[in-house]
Amino acid sequence: MIPGKYRSVSGRSANNVNCGLHLVIQTSSLPEKHKVEFKLHRDTPSFPGRLLQHDLERNYSSRQGDGRVISPSPRSKSSCISSTTNLTELYGLEMKTATSSLSAFGDSSIQTPSKARIRQGCHSAGPNISGDHINLVSSSMPSFPILHRSSEEKILYSDRLTLERQKLTVCPIIDGEEHLRLLNFQHNFITRIQNISNLQRLIFLDLYDNQIEEISGLSTLRSLRVLLLGKNRIKKISNLENLINLDVLDLHGNQITKIENVSHLCDLRVLNLARNLLSHVDNLNGLDSLTELNLRHNQITFVRDVDNLPSLQRLFLSFNNISSFDSVSCLADSTSLSDITFDGNPIAQESWYKHTVLQNMTQLRQLDMKRVTEEERRMASVVAKKEEEKKRESQKQSLLKEKKRLTINNVARHWDLQQRVANSATNQDRKESASPPQDQDCCQTEGSTVSPLPEDTGAVDSGLSSTFQGLSVIDTHLVEVDGDTLSLYGSGALESLDRNWSVQTAGMITTVSFTFIEFDEIVQVLPKLKMKFPNSLHLKFRETNLVMLQQFNALAQLRRIDQLTVDPQGNPVVNFTLWKYYVLFRLSHFSMQKINGTEVTQNDMIMAERLFGILAHIASSELPQYRLISILGDVRKKQFRYLLETKGKKPGIVNEENNDSKRLVGENTNRATLNYTTREFYNEKLEDIKEKKKFCKMYMEDLMKEATEINMKNEALQKLWPQMFIELVRDAVIEIRNKNSYMKLCLQQITDQK
Amino acid sequence: MLSPERLAQPDHEYLAQRHVLTYMEDAVYQLLENREDVSQYGISRFFTEYFNSVCQGTHILFREFSFIQATPHNRASFLRAFWRCFRTVGKNGDLLTMREYHCLLQLLCPDFPLELTQKAARIVLLDDAMDCLMSFSDFLFAFQIQFYYSEFLDSVAAIYQDLLSGKNPNTVIVPTSSSGQHRQRPALGEAGVPEGVEASQFYQCLENLCDRHKYSCPPLALVKEILSGVQRLTFYGFLGSLSKHPGVNQALGALPDKGDLMQDPAMDEELERLVVRSRLHRTPRQHRAQEPGALGTQRRDKLEALERAPEPSRWQPE
Repeated sequence: MIPGKYRSVSGRSANNVNCGLHLVIQTSSLPEKHKVEFKLHRDTPSFPGRLLQHDLERNYSSRQGDGRVISPSPRSKSSCISSTTNLTELYGLEMKTATSSLSAFGDSSIQTPSKARIRQGCHSAGPNISGDHINLVSSSMPSFPILHRSSEEKILYSDRLTLERQKLTVCPIIDGEEHLRLLNFQHNFITRIQNISNLQRLIFLDLYDNQIEEISGLSTLRSLRVLLLGKNRIKKISNLENLINLDVLDLHGNQITKIENVSHLCDLRVLNLARNLLSHVDNLNGLDSLTELNLRHNQITFVRDVDNLPSLQRLFLSFNNISSFDSVSCLADSTSLSDITFDGNPIAQESWYKHTVLQNMTQLRQLDMKRVTEEERRMASVVAKKEEEKKRESQKQSLLKEKKRLTINNVARHWDLQQRVANSATNQDRKESASPPQDQDCCQTEGSTVSPLPEDTGAVDSGLSSTFQGLSVIDTHLVEVDGDTLSLYGSGALESLDRNWSVQTAGMITTVSFTFIEFDEIVQVLPKLKMKFPNSLHLKFRETNLVMLQQFNALAQLRRIDQLTVDPQGNPVVNFTLWKYYVLFRLSHFSMQKINGTEVTQNDMIMAERLFGILAHIASSELPQYRLISILGDVRKKQFRYLLETKGKKPGIVNEENNDSKRLVGENTNRATLNYTTREFYNEKLEDIKEKKKFCKMYMEDLMKEATEINMKNEALQKLWPQMFIELVRDAVIEIRNKNSYMKLCLQQITDQK
Repeated sequence: MLSPERLAQPDHEYLAQRHVLTYMEDAVYQLLENREDVSQYGISRFFTEYFNSVCQGTHILFREFSFIQATPHNRASFLRAFWRCFRTVGKNGDLLTMREYHCLLQLLCPDFPLELTQKAARIVLLDDAMDCLMSFSDFLFAFQIQFYYSEFLDSVAAIYQDLLSGKNPNTVIVPTSSSGQHRQRPALGEAGVPEGVEASQFYQCLENLCDRHKYSCPPLALVKEILSGVQRLTFYGFLGSLSKHPGVNQALGALPDKGDLMQDPAMDEELERLVVRSRLHRTPRQHRAQEPGALGTQRRDKLEALERAPEPSRWQPE
């Protein structure tokens, strides 16, 4: 701290002897040009404790170094200034070239002064106002002392008066000092500003470290340019209406909760509100000349209006409660601001703090007392660019997410509608007691999917939401590839399996999840799934209307399944006690690892076999051959035929092979007869059967009619035959009874033939 | 062939009554369906197999419901197949819901109607609490009555409702009228009247019904036995005792007695073999390439089985 101070000083005051400074205050606003010259001399080795006690605390000046250079003057005997601290103020205003501002450290100064030094300081300040030279006489009014100075004093310091550390509890009546320009009441116990309204030429009034509770009694001091009210008990900024020429206003160390009643101070250049109780910053309109604003050690959470300060160069916000850049975003709009501090705020702890600030406030030259380098600026802009990209990316992501969510909602709605229609259809078919709970379920899901939609879209920008709405109406399905998972929502999503998937993507996908798709529709694309995603090992079903055990048969045609997850939602089959065992039994050839997230154990497998093994056995061993073939389907049919042929040729060898294969895979084939045809196909099949049966029936009826007719004729013949036979015999006997004539007749016939 | 009955009626009527036509038609249908395959090994072989399987009762496996319920023999065969296939489920002691039993039925007959299962469940659960769990044997025996005597029970329901509402049922037996309409009525009955109907009167009606009924009925003697034990009874009370009566089960001949319901030594043996095999081949993935080869074996297996053990349920003309 101290070295910094020196450093700053050294450059500036190179031509002054040992930090002696020459100060000129010039104010153009006054009608006659005031020119107050102060000579400052500074005794460097005896760096004043007093400065540490309170001057730092005040911190009027950002040019802290300079301020310190000036402030020690009370100790320097040769000082020609009565109230040095005040001058620091003025001086600070003029200083524009100083580079490093250390003022941020100012109000972290030591609070407990060393007594000795105070006294010493008190003494040393004496040249102009040691107790001997000033007589405080009690006036006619009982409570107010009246001040008189000796005439030499008056001549020597005609325009200044210092009443520092005089244990004053009230302002004395100052008579005959109308020409006074500087008045110092530092370190007294004054509770009220009084008796100075006659000092109308007063430029400088220092009431630092008193017990003033309200700003008052200043309305006549129109010339006042520096008003120092630090370390008092002021709760409210008020009664400054006439002080239109005010240049410096120091209100640090008070109890002010709000910035107010200052908008008329268009010449104010320094405003110090450090160590107050401000919770936010606003009402800064009209402070057109303000170059420095000190707001350290408050409880500020947000800052507004700073962009309405056209001259503001330095803003100190250290040790406040600012946690986001958004709450101080107006700073970015200020073109004049070149120096700012945020240290001691939550925001300064953030990793993005520096580059965010630099990026948003390109005009900045110093941040937290450190010069902003080009390098840092570049870094900030790079980081900011990255951040921007990230943000855009995440926005895109969230956009996609939102779109996805809406689409899923939409799909869900479609699904529910569809289910309800289906339900009502079945209800009409059979008015059974089982349907009401389903209906209820349906309503619940409907309610939950629809209701969040309006409020959610309300949160999104109106423009976005309208596009979303548009999308949600159009999109009735959703396909999503996320890492190794392919998620399909809505039956339309199944068409995506026809797409040309890159080998890489297809190879990567190990999990396929179906949601809001009728299981029967899934069954139809299973062969495609098998082809396109040869590595899919994990199937997930949610809201797919799995209601029957036999539906699981359809999954057997896949190449491999390691895991199966069937969400109970929309899949009533999961409520069955046996479903897991049936799956294990029917899909035993996959040696599944997990079902619904639970590891499959050896015992599960055995249990499954015990429960359903006989079914498979009966199904495979007791079906007539022709049925077996027709059930197993075409592919197997051919193989079977081939087997039949080879069996005929080389029975011995084939038998052996068969024995082998029987031992190995018999258990798998025997459940191949348990397959699943989707309802639609099954109904078609039933229609087909009906047709064929009709034909068969007709055919059989014809056959039967024919058969019964033949039978009847046969029976009739059987009845007639005995009589006929007798008649025939009788006729024959009659014919040959006369042997001679018969022979003659026969001969005659023979000759005739010849 | 020339039984006295045979001479009493025209040929086609006789054939129809004995369901010969049904099976002939089905055989031709199957032939039509599988004509390519059948031509491989001969028509005579096909017919042999067909009628063999009809005799064994395996012809109904995985067939459509219309065929399964077409003849009493088919029904009995289906009951028996159901028992054989899922006896293990009952043996395991699981209590299942109506819907789950329905699923099991659908494994054997994909288009089995839910209504029948529901009616069977109603017999077990006495017309209330349809979501309750049922034991396998309870369900099976109730289902047997419901499935085998389906049409008879519909008529009985109609009679019962008529009796309840005080009509003379003998004049109006309309088996075609849906039982759903009838079930509404008892609510209107006076509160003071005890539940159900007079057993003796009910029997009279049933006797009448059995005489005229063209579908299968339970033996009248057994019905009499059941009804004579009580003064009054309800419809589901009647069905319940009918399903639990061992005589009815014997008369039907599809299932073993209740005590022996879980016994099927031949199948148990087979199952043990299967379990051992599944244990040996916990990782059958490696063998799948050879899977189709097993078909011939299955076939041979089956033929052996045929030679070994004559099936208990032979087809007998009634």
